[in-house]
Amino acid sequence: MMKRIQSALFALWISVSCVLTIAAGLFIILYIFIKGFKTITWEFLLSNPGGIPIGVEGGIFPAIIGSLLLMLISIVFAFILALATAVYIVFYCESQRLENTAHVIIQCMAGIPSIVLGLFGYTVMVVSLNMGRSLLSAGLTLGIMIFPFIQVRIEKAFREFSKSVLNASYSLGVSKVYTIFRLILPQCRRDIVSSITLAGGFAMGAAAPIMLTGAVIFAPAPKALSSPVMALPLHLYILSNESISMEKSYATALVLIAILITINIFAITLTLWRKEVKR
Amino acid sequence: MRIGFDKAFIILIKVLTLFSLLLLSFIIIFVFKEGYIFFKEVPILKFITGTTWNPLSDPRNLSIFNIILATLYVSLVAIIIALPIGVGSALLLSGYVKERPRLIIRGLIDIIAGIPSVIFGFIGLMVLVKFFEKFFDFPSGESVLAGGILLAVMVLPYIISTCDETMDKLYRKHSPAAQAMGISKIYILRTIVLPQSLRGIVAATVLAFGRAMGETMAVMMVIGNAPIMPRLLGKCQTIPSLIALEMGMAEVGSLHYHALFAAGFVLMVILLMINVALYYVKRSLNR
Repeated sequence: MMKRIQSALFALWISVSCVLTIAAGLFIILYIFIKGFKTITWEFLLSNPGGIPIGVEGGIFPAIIGSLLLMLISIVFAFILALATAVYIVFYCESQRLENTAHVIIQCMAGIPSIVLGLFGYTVMVVSLNMGRSLLSAGLTLGIMIFPFIQVRIEKAFREFSKSVLNASYSLGVSKVYTIFRLILPQCRRDIVSSITLAGGFAMGAAAPIMLTGAVIFAPAPKALSSPVMALPLHLYILSNESISMEKSYATALVLIAILITINIFAITLTLWRKEVKR
Repeated sequence: MRIGFDKAFIILIKVLTLFSLLLLSFIIIFVFKEGYIFFKEVPILKFITGTTWNPLSDPRNLSIFNIILATLYVSLVAIIIALPIGVGSALLLSGYVKERPRLIIRGLIDIIAGIPSVIFGFIGLMVLVKFFEKFFDFPSGESVLAGGILLAVMVLPYIISTCDETMDKLYRKHSPAAQAMGISKIYILRTIVLPQSLRGIVAATVLAFGRAMGETMAVMMVIGNAPIMPRLLGKCQTIPSLIALEMGMAEVGSLHYHALFAAGFVLMVILLMINVALYYVKRSLNR
């Protein structure tokens, strides 16, 4: 009897938790969609914010462009570093100790809070290197933030690469570099693209690092790397925290979440496809 | 030609790797350098143990004991709420759910993980804080509890995916034997999978705790940002929100400015320790 009750309680616990998790996820997405949907118009998407205080009227066009550019810069910077690091650790690193150290370092980088990266970006890029609060400073700071995220996934993809193909290639006398470029990279392409898009979404949603390094309350769509930018997450923060316009807040949140969900679904389908092919 | 290219490629890879691994030390050094100027004026012990933070008074009082405490408090509340839910969901996912619905649920969880913290903060502000004000008659709904609940939802995906990885392996390993003996799924989950995945749960907790402590925007929008002794239903201030809010006001080179870097440095040291611990927990998992 006791056992029955225990089992029943256990079953209740795990099913309730799962329902709660799903409910929380659906609630967030549906809440934003329902509340924000009616404010979304072409005008909202394609015009500059206006009114006093700024954001009461008009749209969010510069913020959308700003966020996309920030994402692009951070991805390019982080991808180059992450790819090189993963290639080195998997194919060139001979010493186990060095490999472990590298892993600890990357784990630690992943754990540094984004606001501290913002401080770093501020003191080094904005103040010391005199780059000012700009697209470039903010993009590079975001790049540092997503570097460990991409590196871990690319390294995992390399490690899953079939050992026998690799050995066959080496025993034919094919050089390592040629093997990497012609065999490994093309076959890991899907994983790499999926990790980059996920990381890009992560960078796009981050507000803390860019509020210190380059994102501002209002700026037109940036023309150069040195100009300050608007970004969706910061715009949303300012609109809602200072109660400027709740309608526009919901709509901004909807645009941000819609872009990120699209990115996520794209990345998830890429990896799923790979699993199906392997079967 | 080919050999020259190969050599150049290897050198390039090495330089880039060296640069990326050195980035961590750059970050530590630069944040410390700016914080060090503050520590020369105010001893580090006084900075950590004093309870008053008031950058505008004269003489200035810049100590962050309350703020460190609040950072830990909010994260702890989040873990207490999220851990049972996360572990429960992971158990259900690893044993009960069929392949296709499982993929959909995992997808939804990945999407929750991808929702930016600003949106969580926004929803917290519009739903959670309003709810507290309406139903519990608080003077202000902004509280440690609101921050904790919000953070709990945010760290849930990390807890679920870390636990699920361990539990799924265990379940697959033991389920054929158990099924052959006619033992119910629920019994395997309860008596074998749950106790044996303790290490995975520990790893998930440490990871979630680190994430929760470093979270800025969501927490900042719902905790009220007052640097007082934290109580569950009262306002508080965490280190990340302190930095994010006051960095804009602090003049470059002022004591206030350096104090914020010092606070960031303290936060970073705590998180580096958590992450080194996490690395070793994870490594013992894979053995």
